[in-house]
Amino acid sequence: MNNEIPVQALGGQGEVMAHAVDACVHCGFCLPACPTYALLGDEMDSPRGRIVLMKEVLEGGLPLADAAPHLDRCLGCQACVTACPSGVPYGELITAFRGWSEPQRQRSALDRSKRWAILKALPAPRLFSVAARVGQFAKPLAPVLPAALRGPLDLLPETVPAMQPSPKVTPARGVQRGRVAFLVGCAQQALAPNFNAATLRVLARNGIEVVIPDGQGCCGAAALHTGARDEALKLVRANLDAFHPDDFDAILSNAAGCGAGLKEYPMVLHGEPDEARAKAFAAKVMDISEYLNTLLQNGELEPPVPASRPLTVAYHDACHLAHAQGVRAAPRALLRAIPGVRVLEVPEGDLCCGSAGTYNLEQPALAGQLGERKAKNILSTTPDLIASGNIGCHTQIQSHVRRQGSPTLVLHTIEILDRAYRGEL
Amino acid sequence: MNTEKLALTTNSSARKPASAGGASNALAADLTRALGPRKVLSNLSERLNYRYDAIQFGATPLAVVLPESTEDVVAAVRAARAAGVPIVGRGAASGLSGGAAPLEPGLVISFTRMTRLTIHQGRREATAQAGVVTLAVTEAARPHGLIYPPDPASFRTSTIGGNLAENAGGPMCFKYGVSGDYVRALEFVDEAGEVHRLTRDVFDLAGLLIGSEGTLGLITEATLRLIPPPRFTRTLMAHFPEVGACAEAVSRAIAAGAVPSKLEFMDRACTNAVEDYLHLGLPRDAEAVLLVDTDGEDLETVQDELRLVEDACVASGGTVRRAATEDEGAQLWRARRSVSPALGRIRPQRMNEDIVVPRSALPDVVREIRALGDASPFPVVQFGHIGDGNLHPNILFDPRREDAHAVHDLAHRIALVAIRHGGVLSGEHGIGSMKRDFMRDAVDPETLAALRGVKRALDPHGALNPGKILPAEEVMVDG
Ligand SMILES: Cc1cc2nc3c(=O)[nH]c(=O)nc-3n(C[C@H](O)[C@H](O)[C@H](O)COP(=O)(O)OP(=O)(O)OC[C@H]3O[C@@H](n4cnc5c(N)ncnc54)[C@H](O)[C@@H]3O)c2cc1C
Ligand code: SF4
Ligand code: SF4
Repeated sequence: MNNEIPVQALGGQGEVMAHAVDACVHCGFCLPACPTYALLGDEMDSPRGRIVLMKEVLEGGLPLADAAPHLDRCLGCQACVTACPSGVPYGELITAFRGWSEPQRQRSALDRSKRWAILKALPAPRLFSVAARVGQFAKPLAPVLPAALRGPLDLLPETVPAMQPSPKVTPARGVQRGRVAFLVGCAQQALAPNFNAATLRVLARNGIEVVIPDGQGCCGAAALHTGARDEALKLVRANLDAFHPDDFDAILSNAAGCGAGLKEYPMVLHGEPDEARAKAFAAKVMDISEYLNTLLQNGELEPPVPASRPLTVAYHDACHLAHAQGVRAAPRALLRAIPGVRVLEVPEGDLCCGSAGTYNLEQPALAGQLGERKAKNILSTTPDLIASGNIGCHTQIQSHVRRQGSPTLVLHTIEILDRAYRGEL
Repeated sequence: MNTEKLALTTNSSARKPASAGGASNALAADLTRALGPRKVLSNLSERLNYRYDAIQFGATPLAVVLPESTEDVVAAVRAARAAGVPIVGRGAASGLSGGAAPLEPGLVISFTRMTRLTIHQGRREATAQAGVVTLAVTEAARPHGLIYPPDPASFRTSTIGGNLAENAGGPMCFKYGVSGDYVRALEFVDEAGEVHRLTRDVFDLAGLLIGSEGTLGLITEATLRLIPPPRFTRTLMAHFPEVGACAEAVSRAIAAGAVPSKLEFMDRACTNAVEDYLHLGLPRDAEAVLLVDTDGEDLETVQDELRLVEDACVASGGTVRRAATEDEGAQLWRARRSVSPALGRIRPQRMNEDIVVPRSALPDVVREIRALGDASPFPVVQFGHIGDGNLHPNILFDPRREDAHAVHDLAHRIALVAIRHGGVLSGEHGIGSMKRDFMRDAVDPETLAALRGVKRALDPHGALNPGKILPAEEVMVDG
């Protein structure tokens, strides 16, 4: 798309943005992939429309405040990236744009405090856990609270589990096949500690030593995608200091959003002194399912114990796994590796569940509609279990599946594998 | 497919832009009064997004209406006429000739929320509002054992209204015909805001509206013919060391009596652009790739036909690969559908031609265009529904570094190749504003005058999509 974005004035991130705008031929192939376009049916809430809005703001032809509502409705799900034949890096564009524009935003006091709370609590598992508990007490108040506060409360699970700290080193069982570093994640530790516990058990069982490097923290994705670039840079640099890629076969994450965030480090630091370090780091980052799938493909995966009865599992593609990281086949292959498990495909599988990081908090109305639609689509396959590889999707889908009156469990792919290994499936 | 669109109401918690307070001009204010704020876009941030299609940017409209019913369209048209501003209809804006890009500020009516769709199994018909996405018709019809064959490569995005306004074709059209062939009845709103319901028995006025690119009336609903899907389909891919050889193979196959359901061609640059996107293992070194489907009720005939095509390809020097599975076939077709936007990987902008030439002239035309491209500084690529003689030569360029006049000039010379070989300027993408100037080369003055007469009859004030299709009338100066 022809543009006059003043790249020089915008620095490294300006190049990232101008390149994306250039590459868009405004063909509209991305429209049917976009969840907000599916709901709203207008051009400003489509990927192509948002690209035009960002271009106009960057060129100075449109006030940021006018474009902002439409850009804020973007889930960052990157379904448009998968759909785009021209290779437009929309994800990089919106992330860079949010970082560039946030300092110029005028937000209401409520908005600001909400964002502050999210940005502080998310990377601090203990704080998050406390906040979640407070939230639990507030749950009965939900009907009388403003919608902006109701969204997050709706999402909290019925019980907030106790924190389970993970050991610094988990030795391999049997012959050691590999050594990996593991990002424990933040909110996930508070909301679903079993994801990490299961991950460590499964890796150990496969002869992989797992190290949880000191000094690691939040991946920074939430800060980055909400435009808090300075916060994000701090977190990114802390992780670059904590993880030494040369010491490990891979750097693993079991949360799709965090994995995608880690893989984005070179883009975040584009044109900055740390860029090379970020590239070396990102080259080692893998989702847990990708890593285990390489073992499976090499015939090295410990065979799981067959399920006690034939089981159907509806696999939900987390956007940050399928669209942002392009990981689709690996988790399905792992589930299929469990004898007795049949993997079901979900109608409209590419459409975001509406969780998308902090979207539930910022756009509760749209998030709720997408959650409902996702739950209906999944339940239409009448699965025994639902699998996903992302904490955000997990809480969103579980809460909407409950709301539809179904008792079906949502588990992390790795939890299902772990159950199989333990003979509990 | 969910077709209900959620509109942001004033009590919905999704916010409207801060500046949404008042309509920015009298037209927007009138429309908002008549239709309510939900259906009218008046902020700059909203209007900016309704000035382009897939090829061109035009003028920012004064207001945009997102109608939900024919009555909404009527109200919108009346308001625009009262304000004396032009009206541009718009579907998904996937058009490739500038059709939906307004040339002057006015009203854009965007049909994307008019998505009511009913399948009448017994009558083998679908009634679709203008904004129904093309693929949705087949998806809804399939459970009833029916399909809607017209399948432009944009069928996941483009709308029935846009398809009919462009008389869109697609790979299936060689055997099954183009969009217009499936229309039983049309409802449209004229420039005065009157609603008309047309069938095709008397003057084929419906036929006139089909392909008129929104210059004669606004299509609000269509009754479409559906057919049972063929029971068997087989796919093959052939690749050739030379572009002309591919065209020869096509002529040879058809002369031998094959009636494939799809016959599509892409040249080397296309194949490579798509391969960069989909990584399917397409033959990157081949100068031309041909994709062919044969289909029908009887497997043996389907396979016999495939063999005829295969033999023709081999005789013309091609290498043939049959798709082993349905999945593989589907992947190959996905590749073909992605050609056009995948070209964006080579250069950010393109001039897109849409010529049709007699099949016998194909090998020469393809070679001549190739030679023109080689002699120019621009990458020129070709693909298209070659079975119909429909080719899409595209000139790829970077507007910041390359001369737009030179691009236009080359496009003109390519168009002349087609005309010289007895071809026409547009197979399916329409004339729009892109090829308007070439109309004088393609259509004689008397015919052009007749076309102008039709336009005046149906749109006396020139309110509907002005500046499209018909070149400006030359002012006669006496003496
Ligand atoms: C990647 C790509 C591939 C394509 N492949 C093909 C192909 O294979 N075959 C093909 O034929 N085309 C193809 N096209 C072109 C385009 O998709 C078609 O012309 C399509 O029919 C346009 O539909 P739309 O809904 O996007 O219409 P728009 O682009 O929105 O509008 C097209 C024209 O129709 C008018 N219009 C729209 N709706 C109405 C209405 N309700 N009433 C009256 N006028 C209206 C507009 O004013 C405009 O002049 C392709 C485009 C792209 C981007
Ligand atoms: S599909 Fe890609 S090139 Fe086409 S409009 Fe969307 S982002 Fe732009
Ligand atoms: S990231 Fe998702 S929500 Fe945002 S424009 Fe792309 S498809 Fe739409």
